[in-house]
Amino acid sequence: MTGSVHAMESLLAVDGIAFGYRNKPVLHDITFTVERGSLCGLLGPNASGKTTLLKCINGVLNPKEGHVRVNGENVGGMTRREMARLMAVVPQQMSLAFSFTALQMVVMGRAARLGALKLPSAHDRDEARAAMKELGVEDLAERQFNELSGGERQLVLLARALFQETPILLLDEPTSHLDFRNQYRIMDVVREMTHAKGLSTLVTLHDPNLAARYCTHLVVLRDGHLHRSGTREAVFERKTLEEVYGMEVFVQQIPGGPSVVLPGRSMEAR
Amino acid sequence: MREHRLTFAVSLLLLAASVALALVLGRYRIEVGALVEILVSTVSGGDVDPSLSGSSLVLWSVRLPRVVAAVMVGAALSVSGAVFQSLFRNPLVSPGILGVTSGASFGATLAFFFAAGSATVVELSAFAWGLIAVTLAYQIGRRSGNTVTSLVLSGVIVSALFTAGISFLKYKADPYQQLPAMVFWTMGSFNSIVWADSIRALSIIIPGLIVLYLFRWWLNPIALGDEDAMTLGIDVRKARMIYIVVGTLIVAASVSSCGAIGWVGLVVPHMARILVGSDHDALIPFTALLGGTFMLVMDTLARSLPGGEIPVGVLTALLGAPFFAYLLVTNEKRGGWQN
Repeated sequence: MTGSVHAMESLLAVDGIAFGYRNKPVLHDITFTVERGSLCGLLGPNASGKTTLLKCINGVLNPKEGHVRVNGENVGGMTRREMARLMAVVPQQMSLAFSFTALQMVVMGRAARLGALKLPSAHDRDEARAAMKELGVEDLAERQFNELSGGERQLVLLARALFQETPILLLDEPTSHLDFRNQYRIMDVVREMTHAKGLSTLVTLHDPNLAARYCTHLVVLRDGHLHRSGTREAVFERKTLEEVYGMEVFVQQIPGGPSVVLPGRSMEAR
Repeated sequence: MREHRLTFAVSLLLLAASVALALVLGRYRIEVGALVEILVSTVSGGDVDPSLSGSSLVLWSVRLPRVVAAVMVGAALSVSGAVFQSLFRNPLVSPGILGVTSGASFGATLAFFFAAGSATVVELSAFAWGLIAVTLAYQIGRRSGNTVTSLVLSGVIVSALFTAGISFLKYKADPYQQLPAMVFWTMGSFNSIVWADSIRALSIIIPGLIVLYLFRWWLNPIALGDEDAMTLGIDVRKARMIYIVVGTLIVAASVSSCGAIGWVGLVVPHMARILVGSDHDALIPFTALLGGTFMLVMDTLARSLPGGEIPVGVLTALLGAPFFAYLLVTNEKRGGWQN
């Protein structure tokens, strides 16, 4: 990184992404940017293309049109290794066919930085422990990953992403299988990491209220099209949410807190 | 790796003990004292006492090549099983289940049918057909839901296909010249192993095991699933190629030298996982060690049990199948395998 980097430079740029499976288009001309240090929420109903978009960004899927740029550089021609040094991904929900300890999971965040045919060293393991400690999960290090609770698993995967030391963090529904308290706990950690490390974070969320509470920016998808994008204040308003979720809603400002959205009458019932 | 030092040490001792036992046991009994004497005089370069020349001949020309082949084939089948399990995130697969073994046996039989058993042609054909079999099983499994069960079922399909092919070739074969040799590929045994076979198998299995050992840590992220491994920076497609090609190669070399021996590649990796965990840093070398020991013990039992020699595959199945059933039941209780 050069010293001339501006604090609000757009680090991650999604430019005209389109994707489809065979004859079924999924995404159309999606364009938005995520600034450094901002936490961007990706909202939209089921099947709106959120997860597909995330996979196009991290290169698991190849977009049919458009490209993704990091620091102005097209990632299309990059190797998996180069990509993994730019973006860390926290997958949606994970259970393992074979049991690894939490520490072994976190250490795998180092894969893209290991020399050819090299194994993680004792030093790498110490650093992985340090990453776990930063998120307060160092006690889980020797536990089996499959035996952890949903919230603990997400924290371990977040520690892995932290240990991957990338400027970009992508999360796919990190709260979807968590209880009420753990949803907030995970999002607290995500916000904390984003601020502390100056990350560009993109997170898909089901719950618009979580987005309203934590995200600085929002991107809203509807039927594979970009419906709105911008700052939370600009996007999180009644009309947009009603159009996207197809239902009547109320948006209210909690005194001294974030906005919340509550369902009104069903659109169909009218 | 460090925390398993004791486990490794004990297993090495067990392997050494089973080698010693395998050398002295058998229909031609070699006393332990004689074994030591022969070894000492060979190492010091002197001549063996004439009274021991019979024992010496049995030791060097019959027992040792067989011991070497059993250890190597056991290690090859087991490591290949561990690699396939992690690669496909599937605890239920092995070279046998995936059809590699029957594909390779078919290839060997085919070579025998048309090329009258030139050893190189047999090996090449075993490798090529083993590769075709695993590719077919993988592709069918992927297109039929890509689950733990679909891969197993497609392996069953592929195995059935190649087993039928073997039966057809047997039916067409010359019953006096070709048939006896063909039966050999379908019923694994070490009893006709000579040095030429051992060395031939060794020269493929050892480099193969070294490659898999060098690439062992990549299997950790790959065992998490293709997408996750990709985002961690692994070129999954390239890695999968390496593992499948090398894993198949060492199985083909095993099948070419001693025929198809079942269950080892399925059961030994699980024993190793229980003992040292799933981290491939320790798992791959330990699986090799355990697989070699297991196969050697089975082979020694097979030829020294009263009532004459039985095919070693009978014993591995007799032990392997119940052990696997036990694993299946206990893992189901823990919520394990059918995710």
